[in-house]
Amino acid sequence: MSWVKAASSNSEDVFDENADDLYLQSKEWASNMKKRIKDGYVDGVNAGEEASLQMGFNMGFREGAAQTVAVGRLRGIVSAVWCWYQIQHPEKPVPSRLIDLLQQVTQHAEGIINDIRKTLENPPPSVSDVSESMEDLEVKPAGCEETDCCRSEQEMDLQGSHTQQNLRCESGCAASGSAGGLDLLVQRCIDLASELELPQELISHIEELRNM
Amino acid sequence: MEERCPITDSSILLIESFCLSSVRFRGEGYQEGFQRGTKRGLHNGWRHGASHGANLSSEISFYYGFAISWKCLLEHQSDDRSRKRLRALEALLNLTQKFPLDDPQSVKLQEDTEKLRAKFRQVDISLTRCSHNNSLTLCVLFL
Repeated sequence: MSWVKAASSNSEDVFDENADDLYLQSKEWASNMKKRIKDGYVDGVNAGEEASLQMGFNMGFREGAAQTVAVGRLRGIVSAVWCWYQIQHPEKPVPSRLIDLLQQVTQHAEGIINDIRKTLENPPPSVSDVSESMEDLEVKPAGCEETDCCRSEQEMDLQGSHTQQNLRCESGCAASGSAGGLDLLVQRCIDLASELELPQELISHIEELRNM
Repeated sequence: MEERCPITDSSILLIESFCLSSVRFRGEGYQEGFQRGTKRGLHNGWRHGASHGANLSSEISFYYGFAISWKCLLEHQSDDRSRKRLRALEALLNLTQKFPLDDPQSVKLQEDTEKLRAKFRQVDISLTRCSHNNSLTLCVLFL
């Protein structure tokens, strides 16, 4: 039965060769899978972005618009009063309080718009952003098991939706931080309108801006 | 080649599982990418929308504030000139109130914006006709 022994001894050698081949093939296979995942990933990212861009724009448009209604109206009112004063009193210089108020309201409006732009240009990194970077570096958290990864994915999804809310909150907070500023400007406008003896109806329209 | 890599059952199994896995993995990769892309699209879209909406709303609201103020200032004046101005102011107010600020995809957005701007220029000039510099300064301030 020497052939059996020979076959066994050969099969050990053959097994080793196959093991090498299998190892190389599995490594190549893993590399192809990774590449294929990335390929599909990029296509998926592009498709997802295209599908959601308009929806994001529409939501942002409405929310951005809401933040400048009050200050826009106030600027219109103060501009009208400025015009009116110049027509009514061409011989007098426009009161400096009126000129200052117009400049302050204009700056306030510009400030709100700039805040919106700045807040969203540099959003804080989300957990998902950091996680992805870690994945690229092939850094795995200690003790990471399948169940933990799945849980963390769900957390990332929540974080994603929270990030959107946080962005809105930040841009809104930037503006509402200046809501105190707007109230002050509204009060100055009311004081000036009273001083210039403007119609009560106009003063009422100015007061309405407090509640917006 | 055959001597080095003989086709064995295990290799066939490996190739088959590769093909099946490729399809599956592409699907998973695509889905993951789609989720990420959706978040990115929402963020970028929101950013542009918010900026655009804020600017446009500031402008439209300015016209409203301007028109309502002048309406209050001229309401008790009965001369023809004031009446004519009041009619123009009413038209301007009407345009601001009908402006589709809550519908960013409205097909009328561009057209209504241009109508409003033209109407405002007309009203501004008519109100400040005596003092040409005023309307110029107003435009500069606004811009």
